[in-house]
Amino acid sequence: MVEEKIICIGCPLGCETTLKIDDQGEVVKIIGYKCKEGQQYVLEEYRSPVRVFTATVLTENSSRSLLPVRTNRPILKTKLMEAARALVSTRAKPPVRVGQIILANLLNTGTNVVATDDLFD
Amino acid sequence: MNFSEIDVAIIGSGPAGMAAAIKAKEEGAEHVLILERQEQLGGLLHQCVHNGFGLFYFGQDLTGPEYAHRFAEKVRDLGIEVLLETMVTQISPDRKLTAVNSREGPLHLLPKSIVLAMGCRERSRGQLNVPGTRPAGIFTAGTAQRFVNVEGLIPGKRVVILGSGDIGMIMARRLTLEGAEVRAVVEILPYVGGLTRNEVQCLHDFHTPLLLEHTVTEIHGEQRVEAVSIAKVDKDKRPINGTEQMIACDTLLLSVGLIPENELSRMAGVELDPLTGGPIVDQFRETNVSGIFAGGNVVHVHDLVDDVSWEAEIAGASAAQFARKEKLEKRRRIILKPGRNIRCVVPQAVSAQNDVILYARVKDMEENVQLKVGDIFAQSLRVVKPGEMLKVNLSHSQLSQLKEDIVEQIIECERRRYDG
Repeated sequence: MVEEKIICIGCPLGCETTLKIDDQGEVVKIIGYKCKEGQQYVLEEYRSPVRVFTATVLTENSSRSLLPVRTNRPILKTKLMEAARALVSTRAKPPVRVGQIILANLLNTGTNVVATDDLFD
Repeated sequence: MNFSEIDVAIIGSGPAGMAAAIKAKEEGAEHVLILERQEQLGGLLHQCVHNGFGLFYFGQDLTGPEYAHRFAEKVRDLGIEVLLETMVTQISPDRKLTAVNSREGPLHLLPKSIVLAMGCRERSRGQLNVPGTRPAGIFTAGTAQRFVNVEGLIPGKRVVILGSGDIGMIMARRLTLEGAEVRAVVEILPYVGGLTRNEVQCLHDFHTPLLLEHTVTEIHGEQRVEAVSIAKVDKDKRPINGTEQMIACDTLLLSVGLIPENELSRMAGVELDPLTGGPIVDQFRETNVSGIFAGGNVVHVHDLVDDVSWEAEIAGASAAQFARKEKLEKRRRIILKPGRNIRCVVPQAVSAQNDVILYARVKDMEENVQLKVGDIFAQSLRVVKPGEMLKVNLSHSQLSQLKEDIVEQIIECERRRYDG
């Protein structure tokens, strides 16, 4: 049996919860949450913690140095550093419109990196 | 553009300015003009490349640039006039406005009403009095954010962040992802200054050390920052002898609070609230100067952009009404005063004619409190934190309970008592 601590971010309360996890990795008990939504959140945060990844990529042939980007859906938080590295060699060339794919299938996750701003010359 | 026929002039085009302009136009103001000192609409949103914007306003999790883009498109579609790279240098109490740019030179405008939407700026080292040398490598978190997210420059490789405001925590994550090592986030209070969401997703996710009840006591380095000394503090926030330690670093970021930017407001004779640093406003977001309105972070610093835009919409709508020479319904004026554990409240006065939303910030974190407005409103809250603004919805019927001779109401946090 191991314990894992997760802070709920559902509301300003920020409950500090403790999950008791058995040898198979299954959650057997959660202590410290104060509402149903919180219980659900920490369970999901334990099983598969995901985040929207945001960053910038270098541009070519533009007066702006950078184009801001994001993933079109959340990715596993364990992949964030890898995702940042994957964008190092990516370049955006104008014209780019908001929502346009800048890097498809990031790290074979099926997630696309899309522009969050227009880019013109 | 005919500068002599401006109905509503808006100073600034961030999430407040654009929202105010759109609302003013929608409420029937014909000539709405935005004056923006930068080369594009959007203000600070362009450097906020992270998500978390618009969750409430749009019901979607947007990044700063996306949030700006949506408003900018609407500004264009509605035919709102925009002057970019134009600096407003003066506003007089009779609403004479002076601006300057390199195309038209000095401009003298006389809009029928004005919305102040200049936002806020960061507290810097000068306001903290951190002892030590004056080397290169000390930045506010927002300056570093501009370097990293707009200019494409990394301010340093080994970073210490003083203060745990939202921008500081967001920059901790951003710098980590860009390959820098964030050696510590140092916070003088026993809890982080920003949102819990940012503590979890910007610090915990990357195992960034967070030192609560600590502060930077000295900066070291001749040409460039070489290290900072930190120490634990006592309950009066004074460094405790013998707890000092050195952290080697080449960069110190400051994330120690924001100040509403009100130089223009002062020139116009707008009265400021020392508690918020922004204009004293009523529920219409009108200042003490007739026809000058204010909304967003220029009034008080918000946690969420959604609230900035909503507040500015009130100012925009009121400014449009004023420009049409319609009277704003102000039959009485009830002053709202901060009481126990309340740092500030906005608006500072209401007229009891309509429903109104009050925004308040507490001084200290406290559990199990009753948030009260006089005897007309009470709400139990499990916890209140300075980093998370309180919102109070007061209905017209609650306000109309107040007897005619009442001119003041106190908003306060009362300790909740238990029966059992």
